[in-house]
Amino acid sequence: MKYLMFPEGKIDGKMIPVNIIFLNVKEIEKAGLTQDEAIRAVAKQHLEPTAINVFDLDACTTTSDGLCVEGAIVRMGAADRGRVNNEFGILPMQDFKFNKEQVEREPHLKQWAKLFPERTLFRGPNPGNKKIPVHNVVITGRASNNNSATEMMNIITMDEVLYPIIGQLESQRDGDLLIGWTGETMSVGIGMTVAEQFGRVFPHPQFKAGTTAHNSGAYAKTLKQWIPCIVADKKVMAKYIIRALDCGCVPGRDIGCSPLNLSVARALGAEIDFDNIIPAAWEELKSVGITREWLEKPLNISRDEVIARADELLPGINDAHKHKAREVIKELELNI
Amino acid sequence: MKLLHTKLPDFMKKMYIATTGKHPEKTIRIRGLEGLQSAKMQSLRTGRIEKVVEEMADREDISSIDFVVMPRVPETMHTVAVKGLDSEGNVKKVVLEVINILHPTEEVEFGDCTDIEDHRPPIGLH
Repeated sequence: MKYLMFPEGKIDGKMIPVNIIFLNVKEIEKAGLTQDEAIRAVAKQHLEPTAINVFDLDACTTTSDGLCVEGAIVRMGAADRGRVNNEFGILPMQDFKFNKEQVEREPHLKQWAKLFPERTLFRGPNPGNKKIPVHNVVITGRASNNNSATEMMNIITMDEVLYPIIGQLESQRDGDLLIGWTGETMSVGIGMTVAEQFGRVFPHPQFKAGTTAHNSGAYAKTLKQWIPCIVADKKVMAKYIIRALDCGCVPGRDIGCSPLNLSVARALGAEIDFDNIIPAAWEELKSVGITREWLEKPLNISRDEVIARADELLPGINDAHKHKAREVIKELELNI
Repeated sequence: MKLLHTKLPDFMKKMYIATTGKHPEKTIRIRGLEGLQSAKMQSLRTGRIEKVVEEMADREDISSIDFVVMPRVPETMHTVAVKGLDSEGNVKKVVLEVINILHPTEEVEFGDCTDIEDHRPPIGLH
């Protein structure tokens, strides 16, 4: 069974505290295993703390600020010294077949409706599947795979890495990655969520577009400022955000008022629901230089120009180094 | 059983005696209870654990026991009481907050050992 791995260790001066393994449902099926069996079998090959994410690239998912993307994590695992904890080491994500009622409740899913309604949607786990009400996490030994498998930690060294979903997808298709420190802008951006049922971070719809899950004022920019992160190149992010805007999603109303969503909307001259962004969110945005006054001066440039100038127009990520996925991702094989 | 709960010092003493009673050359290190000044421990389980320690110490291939107490579940919610005291130590103000703590699971204690016996009841059936 073939699989991919971002190995634990130092890269570009940043410490990645766990191995991050990508399994593919088709490879698992070909090997004649269940997903749990595959997680446990792969775990045995690695002694370091390891996060194990099972992907269905024919499904779809959302980012925390509301972009819909092809491919999804369908199950997550955590392993250490070859073991997977029997009670807390594996969790499946909840699946949703396309339904109009959900699109009405979660307007960012207009993208799902317009682009790929045939795909099954996955975000976070169903709380009913958890042994106790932990957050969306699996833990074995030192390894903790949190926020539905997009944040990984070594609980003993207390080191952490943020690996957002689009970065994980790019990693599997030899795409373009940035490895750097999260920085102030990303620290603010991860709080600008959308409200979802069984979401990646929150199990129940809580923080709608236009609000902030951090609600920390000027401190939002320091919460997660110095975390190593593995993200998609900004031109990849620009394409997804443009696509969301072209599906009729408005930042601050349908999709999150994250600095990235707002910056692309401003560059294009696309609609932003300024009045729906609450004062607490404005305070956090202002702390990283994004003000209503600035956003109300659109650049009105073309989509192609936004993508070409993505490094300049999309804020965030400090000390970033560009990598092709093949430079950092190992291809491995498990003999069944 | 006369008592349903065992005092913490008695609990510690029982484990030391279970180790050294028949084998004075063997040692036990108890970890995970350092934060407690006092507590009452379930007597039924104290007795069972005492028996486990005795049987472990009886093994000829075991020279010492590492006795580790850790949360049963890896994410626990705690109350934080921030207490303001005056110069005489009187509590003048208390603010209560909540904090979740992530703990490593028991696998961090296993080393390379594969001989693991789990006597714990499943979560929710205890």
